Amino acid sequence: MAAKLSRRDFLKVAAASGGAAAALGGLQSVMRADAKQLITSANDVIVPGVCSLCSSGCGTLARVADGKVVKLEGNPMHPVNVGALCPKGQAAPELLYNPDRLTSPMKRDRASGQVTPISWDEAAKLVAEKIAAARDAGHPESVAMMYGDTRGQQRSFFSRFMQTVGSPNFISKESLNTAAAKLGMYLTQGAYTLPVYDLENSNYILCFGANMLEGGWNPQRTISGWTFGRRGRSNRNRIVVVDPRQGIYGSKADEWIPIKPGTDAALALGMANVIIKSNLFDSDFVHNYSFGFEDFTGEGGATRKGFKNFVLENYDPQKVEQITGVSATTIARLAGEFAATRPAVAMLPGKGGLLNGSMEGVYAAMAIHALNALVGSVEAKGGVFTQQYFPVPDYPALPSDAVAKKGLAAERVDGAGSVFPLAFHAYQAVADRVLEGYPLDVLFLYDSNPVYETPGGAKFAEAFKKIPLVVSFSSFMDESAELADLILPESTFLERWGDDYIEGFGYPGIALRQPAIEPLYDTMNAADFFLKLAETLGGSFAKAFPWKSYEEVLQFRLKDVGADWETLKELGVWLTPGYRFAKRGSERWFEIVGRDRLRAPRDGFFDFYSRELFALFGKKNKADLAKRGITQTGDGVALPHHEDAPLSGDGDLHLNIFTLMSLGPKTEAANMPSLQEISGMTVRETWDSWLEMNPETAHKLGLQDNDAVVIQNSFGSVQTKLKLMRGLRPDVVNLPYNQGHTAVGRFAKGRGVNGLTLLDPASEPVTGLAMFTNTTVKVSKA
Amino acid sequence: MTDWCMVIDLDKCIACQACSIACRFENNTPVVSPEEAKNGREIRWNDVFPLPVHFGPDEGEYPNVKTHFLTRPCMHCKNAPCVKVCPVQATFIDEEGLVRQNYDRCIGCRFCTVACPYGVRYFNWYEPQWEETLAEYRNPDQVRVNGSLEGPAVRPVGVVEKCTYCVHRLIKGRAQADAEGRDFRADEYVPACVQTCTGKARYFGDLDDPNSTVSQLSKSLRATHLLEDSGAHPKTFYLSEG
Amino acid sequence: MQQTMTIHDREELIAPLYKFDRQFWMTLSFLVVITAPGLILYVRQLFLGLGVTDLNRPVFWGAYLVNFIFLIGISMAGTVISAALTLLKINWRRPITRIAESLTVFGLMTAGLQIIMDMGRPDRLANTLLYGRLQAPLMWDIASLTVYLMTAVFALYLQLIPDIALLRDTFPATAPEWRKKLYSILALGWAGTKEQWHRLEKAILVVSAFIIPIGISLHTVTSWLFSTTVQPGWKSTILGPYFVVGAIFSGIGLLFIATTFAREYNKHLKEYITEKFYVNLGWIFIIMSGVWFYFTLNETLVVTAEQETLEFPVMASKLFGLYASAFWGMNILMVAATWILVAPKFISDAPSRNPLLQTSTGVGASIVAVLIFFLLWLQPAALSAPLIQTLMLVALVVFLFLGLLGVTKWMKAHLIKSTVIASSFVLFGMWLERWNILMPTLTHARLMPYTSYHPTVTEIALTISTFGILTIMFVVFYKFFPSISVWEVEEGRAIEADSVR
Repeated sequence: MAAKLSRRDFLKVAAASGGAAAALGGLQSVMRADAKQLITSANDVIVPGVCSLCSSGCGTLARVADGKVVKLEGNPMHPVNVGALCPKGQAAPELLYNPDRLTSPMKRDRASGQVTPISWDEAAKLVAEKIAAARDAGHPESVAMMYGDTRGQQRSFFSRFMQTVGSPNFISKESLNTAAAKLGMYLTQGAYTLPVYDLENSNYILCFGANMLEGGWNPQRTISGWTFGRRGRSNRNRIVVVDPRQGIYGSKADEWIPIKPGTDAALALGMANVIIKSNLFDSDFVHNYSFGFEDFTGEGGATRKGFKNFVLENYDPQKVEQITGVSATTIARLAGEFAATRPAVAMLPGKGGLLNGSMEGVYAAMAIHALNALVGSVEAKGGVFTQQYFPVPDYPALPSDAVAKKGLAAERVDGAGSVFPLAFHAYQAVADRVLEGYPLDVLFLYDSNPVYETPGGAKFAEAFKKIPLVVSFSSFMDESAELADLILPESTFLERWGDDYIEGFGYPGIALRQPAIEPLYDTMNAADFFLKLAETLGGSFAKAFPWKSYEEVLQFRLKDVGADWETLKELGVWLTPGYRFAKRGSERWFEIVGRDRLRAPRDGFFDFYSRELFALFGKKNKADLAKRGITQTGDGVALPHHEDAPLSGDGDLHLNIFTLMSLGPKTEAANMPSLQEISGMTVRETWDSWLEMNPETAHKLGLQDNDAVVIQNSFGSVQTKLKLMRGLRPDVVNLPYNQGHTAVGRFAKGRGVNGLTLLDPASEPVTGLAMFTNTTVKVSKA
Repeated sequence: MTDWCMVIDLDKCIACQACSIACRFENNTPVVSPEEAKNGREIRWNDVFPLPVHFGPDEGEYPNVKTHFLTRPCMHCKNAPCVKVCPVQATFIDEEGLVRQNYDRCIGCRFCTVACPYGVRYFNWYEPQWEETLAEYRNPDQVRVNGSLEGPAVRPVGVVEKCTYCVHRLIKGRAQADAEGRDFRADEYVPACVQTCTGKARYFGDLDDPNSTVSQLSKSLRATHLLEDSGAHPKTFYLSEG
Repeated sequence: MQQTMTIHDREELIAPLYKFDRQFWMTLSFLVVITAPGLILYVRQLFLGLGVTDLNRPVFWGAYLVNFIFLIGISMAGTVISAALTLLKINWRRPITRIAESLTVFGLMTAGLQIIMDMGRPDRLANTLLYGRLQAPLMWDIASLTVYLMTAVFALYLQLIPDIALLRDTFPATAPEWRKKLYSILALGWAGTKEQWHRLEKAILVVSAFIIPIGISLHTVTSWLFSTTVQPGWKSTILGPYFVVGAIFSGIGLLFIATTFAREYNKHLKEYITEKFYVNLGWIFIIMSGVWFYFTLNETLVVTAEQETLEFPVMASKLFGLYASAFWGMNILMVAATWILVAPKFISDAPSRNPLLQTSTGVGASIVAVLIFFLLWLQPAALSAPLIQTLMLVALVVFLFLGLLGVTKWMKAHLIKSTVIASSFVLFGMWLERWNILMPTLTHARLMPYTSYHPTVTEIALTISTFGILTIMFVVFYKFFPSISVWEVEEGRAIEADSVR
């Protein structure tokens, strides 16, 4: 029986349930004046320093909040980074507070592999005994040091120690990277140093493989220069990238030239050919300040071929097109642009063996630098000049020591200067030489992890077995430290004293590294350990090292830079901007051009025709030269030319190992979790490796994006993930560096693959450079 | 009025990711495990990624190839979809144009994360972890507004977080100026990402000040917004490449 | 009003309430067993965080929200239908009103549970009251859900009162004292006086009128959670009506299943809930499904034709991408469900010799259709050629049709069974519809690579637990209260008797 609903009833019932809805609306948040409360650290200190996570050496400011380093910023006063700081530097607290850091010196028992902590005193005693024994036996050269980054006074300081010991075996990692560029400068300009590029003032930058925005020997400096040239000044410059891999810089450049690997010399000479033919070269420079441009009369009245005719006869663009894969019209156009847009600069890369590991690489460096000379960009605004340094007082003279004198004259373990006549260092060759029988008693590893970071690193593992005392200063148990007898962990850059020569702008500068906090653990500045060692050894060592701490050493060496110690500590940086470039023919000119020549006159001439090379090989016969990878004879030896790089590995794709901006070149960065997380952003990968391949090639091989692939050749085999990349030559594959660690720590271990295990471990016979990128591989589905 | 705004010049950006990492150390965003990272659980308030996001047919053939990257903080939209949908006003727009986040009030419903067309919001799926000694480097700064946590101190599990244009630096800057008895200048307030940019590609300032850099840049022919027609009126703008 | 309940009726309807027999304990134990794992995993989720699900960025909502929308959907219908039928004075509603209303109440409660399960900070639920922003769509949803739930509880209770009084008055001596006390309290002193009946009838009418717009508003407001955002796939202006229509007809499906379950559980109920109910409600079902197809066609056709840059990837994923199997599966299930209810109306009762109308043909063809569907879903490389794919799609349609045709005679002969099958299809299909609304949009974010979402064990277990809890509430409730509104049925009989006289 349904009752009739009256309106009043409805409203009565409705009101009851409606009220519930209103009550539910809740209280609206009433706008009231915001009471802001800030809780921060009681004690905040900003401490300047210098980052160690790549070779740029950016100035940092560490915020130390209540005794903890919580943030790094760039130091606005440092000219390389001007207040900026890349992701590696920003992540530095993960280095300092890394859970896998070694907390005290350790000794390893070879038989059992057991590692036990020891004290610094014991460590010093152990090392001192071995050094003393080597000297007593009359073979101080059996004490060797392999080193990576030594900043500021470190190099001269360590070198002094080795000289006091009496060993010539002070071996730099540069044969894996920058030595090639230095040799290019040396054989032409006569200065064994890295070129400094005036990017900010250059209107045309022709970059040969320098990876300006992700790597290279001074990535932050090239980034700063790049962005300024694009948008920081009223007229935008032009940048052309020559590289088999496009990378970020090739894409952001105005043009990308995907050159065939190992043919850069040909391209540079092809351009030179056009520049000379069109008479666009700097006549004043070429005719008044260079040697060997025109044909000349040599010893015994013979006519010798000069650069001009050599290039005109052999490097016509059509021929160069065949060699490089770059069209003749492009070559001619680039040449015209380069020569007509002044100032222009041609950049050398920082890669070991340049873009391949034979003499071709050295000749390519010479040819590329010669382009700078041709257009008058040597020691000119917008061009290339040489780095100047602050005057530092000489160390006190070393006490005379017959043992040391004898040792210093011995042949080096790496064969530099002997087996490799043009080499100053041949880092990767040490393993072979030790295995062949060169006796070493003590090996110091400073910023050196050869088991991981050299091609054929496994040979170092073998070589270590023949060395009674291997000492690593690594802050982590890296692959080499794992096999060392003594691990003496160095404090991180945030916990120790040091300095750095500011490089990249020509003018001198010093950046100071000081402890932001006291060392967290029982670690030591390696330099302070050497002081302790000197004290323990006594005698000539104590005399040679009268300082009580490395801080004192720095105060001694930096007292003439123009700022007192307190100011230096406060600012972290001291510069004298002023030197721009040396005027042609001036006194300064002679300090730069030809200054380091050993076998040619230091006459201030730029060698288009390398007299140094001629002195070494000009008289050798064809077979002898062929053994050294040089197919030319006579004058051809001294002139930059293209050599067909012998390929190794029995594969069909060139393997290119490249450095990432995220992980950088340092082993310890691989154990920093933030960097691992962002490592593969460009291909949307994380915490892993990958292989980049051109889609056309992948299609031919039946491979698809993200396939698991095996990369193998006669040197080894690895497996990783494939990523298709259009910005890549079809005959080249890229593998990022700094993954595939088997030690170091929990974040680095077992991630991705180490592409260096696939590279040819041989050394270039003349220069001792590591033979990168002439290695080929085969890629197939896993 | 003040209207804080960030500008990013994509011609100068070189995709180095310093911004993402600086933001992490300034704002205490945790690193997640590799497994979690592969499952889309990473927390980087500023994120850098390659373009195009979803592959299309027109991208150039070798060798005429270009790759592009985008670095993306919060847009601090003027008509923020996230603010519109939050049931408890845990995210709100303040008088200075910042879209702020109240971590104490957030109930973790994630409606804001779903509503944001730019994907700038992140959720704490687990309690944020710093393994062993790594916990030492965390930024000790803490900002509480009306008693509620607004960062950058560590957030608890179950709440949403995002880029705040480093609002704690604004508060710190003002507090500093007060303590020194002087006026606060707009250029004292610089978010961590802007400060660290290696290519000097980022700018920050008051859009309501006609003399500020960001105001001048907003008139550039290259000035553009992300997802211009999302209706959210994003404030962060970009200067396109080239 | 006289109570014309016979002793026979009482035996059938009231006596089982006091029998805690084996059937009851078995059912309850089974439900507890399937519910428990999810609850344990939920505690784990409370401790660890939502990381135990497969939710990620950008898929911030997943199984819990799909369940939430689904449960809101199926809950909406019960009370609304009961109220509508009451207002329209349709008599065949009488045996099922209580089941319908209780489904709404319990459904809404479990829907509310989903939200709590999905919240990052369930401990801060009070913030929605303390700081609730009425401008936020989620607050509208919370408000609407709370109001609807409270009103539905009220309606359910209101219509229970005379029956509680009956239970109080017919309480057996063997039953525990606390139960009698419970009934006494809840009966609110109901004495069945004329004035009390009068008030009750009026109240029921008011509530019924009131509750229909509230119910409709709930699901509309739930749809506004999506359509007020700017995300592709959600910007549909008809999302509200779409959700409501879907809710009504899936709610009917749930009602069918619940009613059949009740009938099987207590065979006596078959006397009261007859086939006529299935036929009548079936018509509403058919009409709603027609409207649902109309809306679905609109949504799909319009977006597919426009191919707008941001919208199309989401639609494409449903048409032939990641969510194709879910989308087309949903459509096939809905077609099948509708066919099951409609087709039998067009054929006669008489058995047929026609091979196309044989059950065996139907079942065989259906199995083949299902196999083809799985092959299309799994996409083995050998069958990837376009011609083969087209042939498979054509074959799918043909076999589906044959399958449905073949079983039609059987459907005609087994109305209730076929209705339950249709209802199951509808429920599964509607769950897929909610899945297809949420997941394609969330997995196809604009500034992130496309991704996918695979619910983890926690989410699957909690889904099972949700339905377990719903069923447990149902089973326990109907151990305390009769599943048929006794007084309404009596009233109906009285009215019939009157009209005959």
